[in-house]
Amino acid sequence: MLLAILVLPLLAAGALWSVPAVIGDRLAAAYGSVISGLVLVGSVLLWPQNGGWFAYGPQDEPRTEIDVAWIPSLGVRFHLGVDSISVPLIVLTALLTFLCCLYSLKITPRIGRTRSLIALLLVIETGVIGTFSALDLVLFFVCFEIVLIPMWLVIDIWGDHHDPAGRKRAANTFVLMTVFGSALMLLGFLLVQRVAGTLDIVELTSSPVRGGHGIPLVAALLIAVGLAVKVPLWPLHIWLPDAHAKAPTVGSVLLAGVLLKLGTYGMIRILVPVLPDATATIAPYLGAFSTVAIVAGSLACLAQTDVKRLIAYSSVGHMGFIGLGISTLSPAGLRGALFANIAHGLITGLLFFLAGAIKDRHDTSDLRTIGRALYARLPRIAALLTFACLASLGLPGLAGFWGEMLVLLGAYHPAPWLPRTTFLVFMVIAGLGTVLTAAYFLRLVRNLCQGDPAENPPAAFAVDLSRIELVTWAPLITLTVLLGVWPGLLLQQWGAL
Amino acid sequence: MTLTWTDWQAIAVPLVLAIGAVAVLLVDSFWRSASAELRHTVVTLLTSVVILFGLVFVWAHRDDFKPAFCRPAVEGPAQCSLVFEPLTAGLWAVLLIGGLGVVGLSAYRLLAADVPIGEYHFLLLSALTGATVLAGARDLATLVIALEVVSLPSFAMVALRRDRRGSEGAMKAFLVSVLSTAVMLFGVSYLYGVTGSLYLSTIANRLTGLDPDLARVAFAAGLFVIVGFAFKIAAVPFHAWLPDTYVGAPVEVTTFLAVVSKSAGVAGLLVLVTSGIAPDGSQLQTVIAILAAVTMTVGNLAALRQVEAVRLLAWSSIGQVGFLLAPLAVDNAQAVVGYLAAYVVVTLGAFGAVAVVQRHRPAGLLTDYRGMVRSEPGLAAALIFFLVVLAGLPPGLAGLFTKFAAFQAVIDGHLGWLAIVMAVNVMIGLAVYLRWIAELFRLPADDPFSVDIETPAVTMISLCTAVAAVLSVLPSIMFALAT
Repeated sequence: MLLAILVLPLLAAGALWSVPAVIGDRLAAAYGSVISGLVLVGSVLLWPQNGGWFAYGPQDEPRTEIDVAWIPSLGVRFHLGVDSISVPLIVLTALLTFLCCLYSLKITPRIGRTRSLIALLLVIETGVIGTFSALDLVLFFVCFEIVLIPMWLVIDIWGDHHDPAGRKRAANTFVLMTVFGSALMLLGFLLVQRVAGTLDIVELTSSPVRGGHGIPLVAALLIAVGLAVKVPLWPLHIWLPDAHAKAPTVGSVLLAGVLLKLGTYGMIRILVPVLPDATATIAPYLGAFSTVAIVAGSLACLAQTDVKRLIAYSSVGHMGFIGLGISTLSPAGLRGALFANIAHGLITGLLFFLAGAIKDRHDTSDLRTIGRALYARLPRIAALLTFACLASLGLPGLAGFWGEMLVLLGAYHPAPWLPRTTFLVFMVIAGLGTVLTAAYFLRLVRNLCQGDPAENPPAAFAVDLSRIELVTWAPLITLTVLLGVWPGLLLQQWGAL
Repeated sequence: MTLTWTDWQAIAVPLVLAIGAVAVLLVDSFWRSASAELRHTVVTLLTSVVILFGLVFVWAHRDDFKPAFCRPAVEGPAQCSLVFEPLTAGLWAVLLIGGLGVVGLSAYRLLAADVPIGEYHFLLLSALTGATVLAGARDLATLVIALEVVSLPSFAMVALRRDRRGSEGAMKAFLVSVLSTAVMLFGVSYLYGVTGSLYLSTIANRLTGLDPDLARVAFAAGLFVIVGFAFKIAAVPFHAWLPDTYVGAPVEVTTFLAVVSKSAGVAGLLVLVTSGIAPDGSQLQTVIAILAAVTMTVGNLAALRQVEAVRLLAWSSIGQVGFLLAPLAVDNAQAVVGYLAAYVVVTLGAFGAVAVVQRHRPAGLLTDYRGMVRSEPGLAAALIFFLVVLAGLPPGLAGLFTKFAAFQAVIDGHLGWLAIVMAVNVMIGLAVYLRWIAELFRLPADDPFSVDIETPAVTMISLCTAVAAVLSVLPSIMFALAT
């Protein structure tokens, strides 16, 4: 099943490219929706029956789907498998790709070429699912890299049509920084291999590389920096605002909803279990940078005048929470990070869809040009925007709340071998960060949605929520509420706290 | 000295190549009555058969060990001038495949009409003879002579078209080559003076026991030999001749220079290093590592600024040589040969695609490739694949894994700083190739490139794509070459 959902989108993309370019955009999008729908069904079938997490407890071995030697002379194996941390992320990936394809049925970037866009989305899906299920370090690296060129093309070709030079620069910055990060990560993997003699994640997890200094420390640093570029952790986030702001709507959704998770997933899957002692050495620094990211991201949001850039910077803050959760190395913190991963994927996906909708209707994403009083002009979209903002700022009862709460809880009780005082400081600062988050989201709602409709005449072509938008966003909204009122749905997958 | 059966076997491939070279020249000179097309076809077939014989021989004897022209040594095992072993088999396979690819890309109607085909194939086979001997050579005299046999035909090939640019390129390459030979011979003479032997195995044995004063001389001598090779493979700072020569020559000859000539130089250097001239932890290793770091950085940075396709490939091939030198510095033959194999296949393909475009758009600018994804999808897809392999990113897994092997070798050799430089260069290299890929993906301008591509070119490019795709799925093939 796992192999099927990996190979299907790839083959489907190849098939789509081999048909002539003249096939209709609608047909291509429908085809993409069917394929990614099948992948979604397949990924839901992977959902584990009994909870457990092989890295942190003896309960559950990863369900290995395939394990064959690939390049014996280099020690590389083709080893795929899933457990209860990867399956929710795979489902999230499949869901967001499906929604993006569905959205493209009606709403596509102005430049056209939908056939290639759909094919690239499917390739990205393969790469991401492959990363989430790889159990060999090199295979993880390969899948990590598969995503890059398709995403580069998505930003470079279908990006903001007002600013060709800007979207080119954004795409190049994105791909070059990520490649450099992943090359450093590869160096870390090779150091691990030199010490441990294997590249297999399952073996490395059951007999981790001990020692908190020397080569394991260097390896942990290289892997952490490499993944931090992808997360992205302050100060390595500079590629993110441009890439998100210039990318087309579906590109932003996948970039924020799925690609950022590759970094945090890598930390949880590889850094923490494989190099436990070295990770403990760098954890306070990781926590510090994450806390700075929370505050810096929030402050940057307060200064933004572009709605897509604002949401992009808010991702920096939210990913900072996830980084802080991981750095506590405590059960609560790690579970919080995992939960926040999923919640951020859903909510930010929804936010970028909404931002895209607003941008399409006004042909700009500049807050001042859009004007105020969306409540009067586009009541349904404005209401959804308010909903998504509230979910994102962590309103109890919605999905954003639980992850951040667990992270703060984890920072209150970090793993016993970490300096507790430091993490208490982080917790307080991160708590202030949530206030800042609330501030900029409320400012966004105030500046965009409220106001006197008389002073802000509606744009002529601005129609409210269309049917396709409703259909596409409904699953995200439902899941945000569902996970908010029933967090156990996910949390029980990862065992008791 | 009598030739034994083993000796004959070990030199069978170079010998057949040399005989083939003479035969090709004779056929072309004495069969004037035939039409140009027929002569070209016959010559091409003859050359291919000769090279294919070499490949079959290599395949049949891939696990053999055949020392040839041996003499009993004073100390240690017998010293031999030419050895056919698995490493040689791997290098020969790469060289011969490269040669075959160049022959295929020079088929009738692909090669410019003013290039005399008899001479062209004669020179090509002569250079291949030298290249195969070089990869098997185990004494310094054979090494130097073989390297000259590779180099001299190369200049003649660059100048074959007899125009001004070609002559200039050939002249530059010739002068640099003469200089490098002089430098190398100087180093060889010192190595002989210090150790009293020309055989690599004996030199390696005696180098370990030298007294410190002589060891310094030996270091200088080794340095001179390495610098000589560095000129041939255009490692920075001995690279200045390369871009002009590449641009001046016909594209097919440039392909030959980038594929066969360069591989031969790397093979020679690899033979030197693996036979123990630069043992573990010696300063010479550090020298090669520094050479690697400088070469890849300068090559990639310069490639970033090029606007002509061939010049971009020329500079980026300098960058690739840097990546080849990195595992070479730590004496990891498997990674070097694997990298070389992937490099040869995709370079052939990329130059083949460039040749197609250049025949119709002689300016050879990157902007000529704009919109080819729409107007010429097959060729564009192949070219993108080759460039991605060169950059080392998925879907070009052949390039990714050979870079991975190079990283692994360097990390295992405890050269952490070189690994970091390589990581930076992966990024710069990607930026180089992305500029070109971006042009291909643009929407077509007013005058998109679309032509009837000649059948032999289609065949060769498809073959290269197929081979690169197979190597991407089953990378272990490349790494099995040298073991």
